[in-house]
Amino acid sequence: MADERDPQVSRRYRGLGAQEPPRALDEAILAASRRATDAPPAPLVPPAGRRRWYFPLAAAAVIMLSVAVTWHMQMEERPDPESAMLMRAPHPAQELGREEKQADESRRDAAARPKRELPPAAPAARDAAPAGRALEAPSASMLAKQLAEEPPEKVLERIAELRRLGRHEEADRMLEAFRMRYPEYKLPDSVLKK
Amino acid sequence: MDGADEELMLAYRDGDARAFEALYGRHRVRLYRFVLRSVKERGLAEELYQDVWMRVIEARRRYAPKARFTTWLYSIAHNRLVDHWRRKGLSLVDVDSAEVEGNNPDPQRQVQARQDLQRFASALEALPPAQREAFLMHEEAGMSVEEIAGATGMAVEAAKSRLRYAVAKLRKAVDDG
Repeated sequence: MADERDPQVSRRYRGLGAQEPPRALDEAILAASRRATDAPPAPLVPPAGRRRWYFPLAAAAVIMLSVAVTWHMQMEERPDPESAMLMRAPHPAQELGREEKQADESRRDAAARPKRELPPAAPAARDAAPAGRALEAPSASMLAKQLAEEPPEKVLERIAELRRLGRHEEADRMLEAFRMRYPEYKLPDSVLKK
Repeated sequence: MDGADEELMLAYRDGDARAFEALYGRHRVRLYRFVLRSVKERGLAEELYQDVWMRVIEARRRYAPKARFTTWLYSIAHNRLVDHWRRKGLSLVDVDSAEVEGNNPDPQRQVQARQDLQRFASALEALPPAQREAFLMHEEAGMSVEEIAGATGMAVEAAKSRLRYAVAKLRKAVDDG
């Protein structure tokens, strides 16, 4: 430690006196230090006065909002019965027997896939997927939308369905988009084989 | 209660109120004089002194011994006082109440000693705030030049220069007596 002291200056400085803080001040500071160790950590926004009622109310509002949003999202994902019926209805240009055969094949494929690769889809989705929207040729924006909205298992089902129908170009396009979104996902043979 | 200042502060951070009492006992007089000789009024000095300790209490949860506790304590005091140094003059002790020359019975010498102290007090008061602060930290808290630089946020060379100027001016006041 570099000492810059001048002994004579120090002596004269000491001559100015040795004042001490008043006892009352000591007591006040020590009392505050004890109170601080007794008190729990202060909340980020300490409630005070009339704002006390704010916090339970705000917490309840947040919980209700979360429940409402979750419920709304679930309702949007589930197709309403009318449109599900429409999707299941046979297309005039398609033969009934052929469609049933496709649906059976689709269910067989789904059952044969290893579970960790493709967990079984919800029954409503399984019924709705093969016949209707899955067979439409998706545009690039539709592809992106489908990938964002649907679980990966369902998208793979669509790709497999396109392969079975011989629509490999569309299947390739969808597969490419799928790979970009889920690069780590293990792909079953049914979506790769032409 | 034994232990280094830093250990005591860590113990206080963890809820040991007695550690703070020990720490307070070690630093109360020097910090009080540091504040008292830096502001104009005694009442204000007491208010600021209390405020510095309150800040220590409030900051205990964030405390981590990165430097000596003394450096940390005086950096808090520095931050609290710096505005006052800019606006106001220095409050020195009441020289009339200071004990002069060991109760020398010679009235003439007593008067002379009181004049010497008054001259020294005036010289201290006349120092630029940064020089006075450096001197008080060095003299009262026993802080090194590096520690003064750390507490006040100035470069080591600047702290050294300010301290030297302060000591030189005060030495002149002593010699003139």
